[in-house]
Formats: sequence, structure tokens, C-alpha cells
Amino acid sequence: MNSTIYKKKSPLAVFLIPAFLFMAVFLYYPFAMNIYNSFCNITGLGTAAEGFNSPWYLNYGKLFQDPIMNTALVNTMLLMILTIIFQVGIALLLALLIDNIKKGTQFFRTVYFFPIVISATALGLLFNLIFLYDGGMVNQLLMKFGMTDMIDWKDEAHFLFTMMTPVMWQYVGFYFVIIVTGLNNISPDIYEAAEIDGASGFNRVRYISLPLLHNVLITCLILAVTGALKVFDLPWVMMGAGMPMDQSWLTGTYMYNQTFTMGDVDYGSTIAIVIVVIGVVVSQVANRIFKEKDY
Amino acid sequence: MKRVIAFILTMALGGSMLAGCQSTPAASQAASQEASSEAAKPVEITVVTSYGGDDGNRANYEAAYKAYETATGNTVKDASGTSNEEWKAKIMADFETGAEPDVLFYFNGVDANKLVQGGKVVSIDEIRKTYPDYASNMTDDRLGASPADGKNYSVPVNGYWEGLFINKKVLKDCGVEVPGADYTWDQFLKDCETIKSKGITPIACSLQEVPHYWFEYCIFNHGTPSTHTKLPASSTDDVGKAWAEGLNDIKTLYTKGYFPKNTTTATDAETFQLMADDKAAFAIDGSWKIGWFQENAKSIDDFTVTYVPGENGRKSTDIIGGLSMGYYITQKAWSDPAKQKACVDFVKAMTTDEVVSTFGATAVTALKNGTIAKSDTDSLEQAAMAMTKGATGITPATQDGLIQTARTALFADIKNIATGKTTAEKAIDACLAIKS
Repeated sequence: MNSTIYKKKSPLAVFLIPAFLFMAVFLYYPFAMNIYNSFCNITGLGTAAEGFNSPWYLNYGKLFQDPIMNTALVNTMLLMILTIIFQVGIALLLALLIDNIKKGTQFFRTVYFFPIVISATALGLLFNLIFLYDGGMVNQLLMKFGMTDMIDWKDEAHFLFTMMTPVMWQYVGFYFVIIVTGLNNISPDIYEAAEIDGASGFNRVRYISLPLLHNVLITCLILAVTGALKVFDLPWVMMGAGMPMDQSWLTGTYMYNQTFTMGDVDYGSTIAIVIVVIGVVVSQVANRIFKEKDY
Repeated sequence: MKRVIAFILTMALGGSMLAGCQSTPAASQAASQEASSEAAKPVEITVVTSYGGDDGNRANYEAAYKAYETATGNTVKDASGTSNEEWKAKIMADFETGAEPDVLFYFNGVDANKLVQGGKVVSIDEIRKTYPDYASNMTDDRLGASPADGKNYSVPVNGYWEGLFINKKVLKDCGVEVPGADYTWDQFLKDCETIKSKGITPIACSLQEVPHYWFEYCIFNHGTPSTHTKLPASSTDDVGKAWAEGLNDIKTLYTKGYFPKNTTTATDAETFQLMADDKAAFAIDGSWKIGWFQENAKSIDDFTVTYVPGENGRKSTDIIGGLSMGYYITQKAWSDPAKQKACVDFVKAMTTDEVVSTFGATAVTALKNGTIAKSDTDSLEQAAMAMTKGATGITPATQDGLIQTARTALFADIKNIATGKTTAEKAIDACLAIKS
């Protein structure tokens, strides 16, 4: 049965080259151009560069003096931390609870996973209506319960809650499904043995489920941390251009705004590079801190 | 057998990759023959306008170009979008990459400078050498000459004006009279105070999203129709000082609590909804907003539009308006013998007196004979026509003289000026520092 087709590798190259060319044309070349553009002066999307900036590293200096970039970085880091705590944390909690019930597992899986399949733009519009100042669902409920002044959920005191809640809520289901799958892979024999030994429910989770979920949780954490860097659509729909008072910028939304709204394409390219660099650094750090274990 | 299958698959894949790049001798011959006889055949022209999406004139635009298709046999490939900064960027990108349309409905201010300077569009003088009656129903002085070289390139359709929309029901409930042509800024402030004391928002405006119109008129109130379009060199020259005073007027309105409580976090749609819900009294917007009121008002008769209150050198009856957009024929289409006449005919068909009148009879126009009034105008349209008719001065918006980046930066700073996070002078200087 050993055909020569599997020994000769040259035909494989023919099949690999199209994918490689695709990646080269649509990923690596644009990325290289992005680095080049960050040193140029480009005054509008689609317009040719008007030579190099003077000095050529102008945009990189600007990054450190730009207070909005600072806000965007702080918010993105905060989002990363909140993602770990709430997205992965709540997903773990829900998964452990579901693992302990006999009926309705599939129902809850579907229910918790459902937000993932709704487009972020639609979710943004939905939450905009929920948190709307005049006539929004939350404010209407609060008024019913006797509040006299409506709350501006997008003001400086509330915007973080308003922006982060939908983002957290949307992806809980994603990590929930991964963790549930991890829990299903744990042999029931181990739980039965623990039960015979008199282990309580909490101890079974503490000494069996969590240790055996270690690698799954590490995968979730790395996905969550790197995913937080790419969050764009939902905050953009809800908070627009840094609402309120340039406080809600994320690196993704700020890059988009600089490029598409402000027309400062070279600075937008520079921010894009920062996002990539942070992504690589954070994923490397996460890989080193949360090492996978062999069982 | 597997070797044969692998070979066939490889060849098929390779062939499919190259298929798109191939031009067979037979195909080129056919294309050549087609080109030679193309001038006589109906052609397809690509048109980009801002009448896409939910534009109030979308239906009028569609009806007009379909009538052109029927009359000429040509086909219009419509690639219209909604006018915003992304739309502008996409058009510029299309020109940059050689994918420009044949006819473009676009701004005639500094936004089009790159098209004019790059020779991407054809001047009306050039077109008239071959087609002498091109745009002959328009007054040349009002076509909207390019700031790049002072020549006319575009043929306008519906001009615009900006005015003060008023919720008459709210004013009546608050015991405030509906303002007229002699409305002053001081009276306006007093009325706002009265309205606010009744628990109603005096001004519907999102400083976060669309402070454009208040900026325009507050600046105008410290200038005259002849000086309004001048750009400052710095915040300390005369024009710069006028800008700073205007921006500080916005700050005063904010400080006095005349804007919605959430003006720094609300969208334009949210604040305008206050007008429809009888929760706000005044809003400044443009002629295009009439359609919004017609769609959203419980009763159109509860609304009117009039002059924005004036002060200093500006009479209340001096208004912002003009013809900021028009149809361009691109150099690419002009150089194509098959498309040249089709494009000229298209622009002519879209700018006849009848078609222009359907696009906005209340608006400022370049038509020599003026627009033809509709027989079924509502009270808001009648008020708008009365306003434009009684205007003592019309000047274009000064913001059109700013490049996109500077304009966006300035408007983003207006909420910061209002809340005291920056000063008007700093915001003006920061905007003017953005040169390209």
C-alpha cells in the first residue's frame, strides 16, 4: 500500500504554494508595507505617501506623547485582566455547575454559547438600547423602582461598566464550551473513586476537576488575553469615538479612528504595529507563565 | 493510479490559477473588434454618488437615472454610498488605484483638491469645447469653483442651507414665541433659560458627535458673510479670535445647561429624537434634515425652520448655504470614446431643471430659472422656502475649507472646550497645525 506519492514530496509543494502565496500577498506583504508606512507621511486612506516623515521615527515619538494612546493602552490592559477574571472565570464557574447536573446540559450549552453567533454590531446596538439615556431599558426599570434622575451609562463614572459588560458577556459562552469539553474528557472513574473515598463536591472540584483542566484553562487564558487585544467592533458600536471625553479608547478603536476618520494613515499604521508587538509579547509572557503540564 | 490522479489534480490547480491571467488571441481579437464598434452601442457607466443608503433623495436619484437608462439605452452601474469620511476615503482610494468611477457626485471644496490637482476630473470649460450646451441651464458663478484653481469642474444638483429647526409645540407649552427673522442671540439665550426652567432641553445637539452646525453659526456670529469663509492663520489673528469667541459661545451654552444632559456621550440620533419626542425646542441642521422631520414628526405642523439668531456683524437673516457637491466626469471616462458622450448625457439628464427640482425645491440652487416649486409642499418646506427667499446673505460653511484631519480634530475638541478640558485657542492652534 506504500505508494510513491507519499515518498515524493514535490507534489505536496504544489498544493502548499497557493496557500503560501495567499498568505504572502494578503498578510505578510501588507504587514511589511504597514511597517514601511509607519515611517511615511500619508494624509488619507488610499493616497500615496508624500515621502518619509521628518524625522522618520516621528510617529514612534508621538506614541509616547499622545495621552489618548496612553488611555487606549491602559484600557486594553484593563480589558485583558477583566477578560481573564470574568470571561474565563464565569465560563469556568458555569461549566463546573453544568457538569454537576444530569439533565439540560445541552440546553445550557446552547443558551450560553448563543451570544457568540450574534454579530458584535447587532449586540452593540442591542446594548445601546439597554443603556440608552432617555428611554433605555435599564433607566426605565430604575425609574419604575423610584429613581428620579436618569443615569448616563456612558458618562465618565459608568462607561467602563457599560463598555465592558457586553464584551464579557459575549465571549463567556466560547470559553464555557471549551471548558465543558475539557470536563467531559475527565474520566468518571476518578470522580467515583473520590466519592467512595468520601470527597465532598468542593474537594472533587478542587483536587480533581481544576488540576485536570489545567491545560484547557491555559489555552483559554492565552486565547482570552490575545483576543482582548483585538476587541474592536462592540466597543466601537457602543462608544464610538472614545466616548465619553476620549476615555474609552482601546488600541483597536483608536487605530481605526486615526486611519479611517482622521485620515492619519501613517500614525494608524504605527498603532497597528504596537498592537502586534503587544500581542506577541503578551502571548509569549502568557506561554511562559502558564506552562502546560504533561499528565 | 494515484500518481495519475495527483498529476491531474496538480495540472487542474495550476490551470485554474492561471486562468484569470490569460488572454487568448481570440479574446483580444474580439475585444478589439468590440472597441471599434463600441461608440455606437449602449454602454455601462459606473456612477458613484452620496445618494446611497437611507439618503432622503435616494428615490429621486433612482428615478432620475432609470429615466436616463430608458431614454439612452445605456446602463448605470450605481455604486453610491452614504457621505461620510469613510466614503470620501474610499473614493480617493479608488482614484489612487485606477478604479475610479466614470461619473462622480462629490464635494467641490478642498475635499476634491487632490482630484483637480491630479488631473483626475475634467473641467466644465474642457467639456464645453465638445459639448457647448453642457450645464447651460446653470449660472456659472454658482457652480462651485474648485479652490485648487478657481475653475468649475462639477455640476451641482441640490444646494444646501443650514437653519434653526424649532419644535413649536414645545415653545407653546413653555410660553415662548416662535422666533422670526429679527431673532437675536440675547433673546435666544433668554428663551433657552425659560425653556430650561420648565424642565425641557432647550437645544438638541450632540457635542460628542455633531457639533458642526453650532460651530458654524457661533463662528458666523462673530463675522460677516464676506469674512466667514476665511480661515485663521492662528488663534490670535482677527479670524482666529472670532473662532475662539464662537467656540466660547458654545461653552456658554453648555455651562448654562442648554444642551442635553448627555450631550458629551449621546449620538446625533439620540439628541434629535428629543425633538421628535417634544423634549427639546431648538436644533440647527441642514436642508437634508427636512426628510427626517417628515418621517419622524408626529405632526409636521409642530415644526418649523427659521434663521439662527444673530449677533455682532451677522444679521439673523444671513445664512450658511451653498452648493457643496456636484457631478464630475472623470478623466478616465472622458478619454474613453465609448463612454464620453454617455457620461455627458448622464450629467445633463441628472441636472435638468425638472430633476434638480425634485431633489430639493427648498434648497439653494444654481439653476438660472430657479427650482420648480412642488404643489404639495408641507408647512416645514414652506418655512424653509420662505427662509432661503428672505436671506440677506448666503455664505458657504467655513469648515469646508479645512482638510479632513484638521476638521475632525477640531470637532473632536469642541466637547473638550465646552467642558473646560482645553481652551478654544489651544484647539484652534492644534487644528491649524495639521497642515496635510
